[in-house]
Amino acid sequence: MIRYLIKNNFKLMFRNTWSVVVMLLGPILVIAVLSSAFSELMKSYEGVDEFAVGYRIQEVAEDNLMIETVKVAGEEAGILFYEYPQGEIKDVMEKNELAGFVEFSEGTYVIYTSADYEVEGITLEYFMNKVMNVGVNASLQLQEQEKIVLPVEELEFMPAVDSKDYYGIAYIVYFCWCGMICATGVLSNEKKYGIVRRFQVSNISELQNYLGKFIPITLTVTVGMAIATTITVLLYDIHWGNSILSMLIVFMMILAGAALGMMLYNISDSLVITIIIQFTIVWFMGFFGGSFETYMFSSTSDTLKHLSPIYHSNRALVELSCMGESNYVASAVGYSLVITVVCSTIAILAGCIRKRGRA
Amino acid sequence: MGDIILKTTDLTKKYNNKVVVDNLNIEIRKGEIFGLLGPNGAGKSTTMNMICSIVRPTAGEVELLGKNPWKQKKDVIHKIGYIPQELAIHGNLKAWENVELFTSLYGMKGQQLKNAVNESLQYVGLLERKQEFAKNFSGGMKRRLNIACALGHNPELLIFDEPTVGIDPQSRNFILDKIKESNKKGTTVIYTSHYMEEVEAICTRIAIMDNGKIIACGTSEELKKLVNGGDENITLEEVFLTLTGKKLRDYAE
Repeated sequence: MIRYLIKNNFKLMFRNTWSVVVMLLGPILVIAVLSSAFSELMKSYEGVDEFAVGYRIQEVAEDNLMIETVKVAGEEAGILFYEYPQGEIKDVMEKNELAGFVEFSEGTYVIYTSADYEVEGITLEYFMNKVMNVGVNASLQLQEQEKIVLPVEELEFMPAVDSKDYYGIAYIVYFCWCGMICATGVLSNEKKYGIVRRFQVSNISELQNYLGKFIPITLTVTVGMAIATTITVLLYDIHWGNSILSMLIVFMMILAGAALGMMLYNISDSLVITIIIQFTIVWFMGFFGGSFETYMFSSTSDTLKHLSPIYHSNRALVELSCMGESNYVASAVGYSLVITVVCSTIAILAGCIRKRGRA
Repeated sequence: MGDIILKTTDLTKKYNNKVVVDNLNIEIRKGEIFGLLGPNGAGKSTTMNMICSIVRPTAGEVELLGKNPWKQKKDVIHKIGYIPQELAIHGNLKAWENVELFTSLYGMKGQQLKNAVNESLQYVGLLERKQEFAKNFSGGMKRRLNIACALGHNPELLIFDEPTVGIDPQSRNFILDKIKESNKKGTTVIYTSHYMEEVEAICTRIAIMDNGKIIACGTSEELKKLVNGGDENITLEEVFLTLTGKKLRDYAE
């Protein structure tokens, strides 16, 4: 029976023009507005002029070929490397007005940055991370037998990303969490016209009833977001990173958003309360998670940022886009999975309690 | 008359200490068309909802086809067809999709479901309009579709909660004929309505309910005798008004 419930609820959600239009046009318009409004802010990342960086090779470091590669790549990227073998690094940087300094030692390197050259420092970190990864991969290909290990210090890495890509990704993330809007037509009809009673006078279990809505919401939002993403990619030239990981993260968020909405609805039994509470929760998660101001410049506390599932998803997707990899993929997927399981369980229990009725 | 299909024993429902249904005892036998009459707020819909296991009784028992619908729901619920007072259909689904959705809730699938959908639509005269969206139907057609959605699984007991509200005489007549037709095939019917002539025309037994209690029960003739000592000129409406009074009722259930 669940097949027919899913099929017909899916049709109902897609025939609700208003919600489909909101889910499609919403991200497209918001991305256009925010990416152009904040393009100046984000330009500080991409519009850095050529700058000078010092470097020093410790005696134990032997991989001069790698350093030459770094210098050549740096020149192409507008980062000029000059060797300073002597003196206190701090003094050398001040004296020579260097934006940064890299100290190479065996198998590792340390970056020194200055508060006066914050953006250049971030760019240097990004460049070093990128170029060293490329270098390691190239060396691995050349010398398959000899394993080169570069234990790079854990850096609070700030990716270079433009406003189009940032908001293009962040608002797809944001709208994924608001997918419950697709179910408004079905749920309000069910309640308004006593359709819920028909379900009660039937063999349908609460689990089937839940899945009969959860799956169509997920499908509708997935299709809607896929179309919205395709349109934004074509219109604004937004770059997504690793497509399989990105799709996985987005899909997991859609599941979590639908489960959260269904849980709130089954507890409150009111569509208005559900939408208000869910949108408030999502707004706060987005506020701390970088949907309204970029998480790179966010003034909110790190603890609150990390509590927000949107932060993990945003960061993972943005890093995948500009770096091709991210340490946040697991936490983004895990967070969404936990929310989906917990909210679904509570939603089904709440539905059972409601169905059992009060004597 | 056949076996008892529905029996309520001291069935009671209270909302915030207000008694809506008060120690209700009724017995309905297989093959009957049982009419339940009452003014607004009499407790008819609450009674129907308790019978269908939509609303949990505060006290008392419901026995449906020998089983308790609250404790043995899976064994008995598929034998009921419930037609709610509201038009419980989706306007954005086509006629056949509505019937398919609600019939599938009883475990039907595949060709069996397709046949059931077509038969139900044929029964209410909507087969040729099956591809149209329900939102484009007239009031009468929506009412008929509302009924079709409860017929697909061939229930033994049909419960109609005011099924003819706001429709034209032709549609009303059609619905009443279909109810009688179903009854002739062996389906037991419980019918609530405000329209006295409808109840008188189709019901084999009528109960008048007020303030949560059955205040009179019997055939139309028996009720008339009860009020006016057998004067055949009295109408059921006059019987109803004599028993329930002429004071306006502004309750909402």
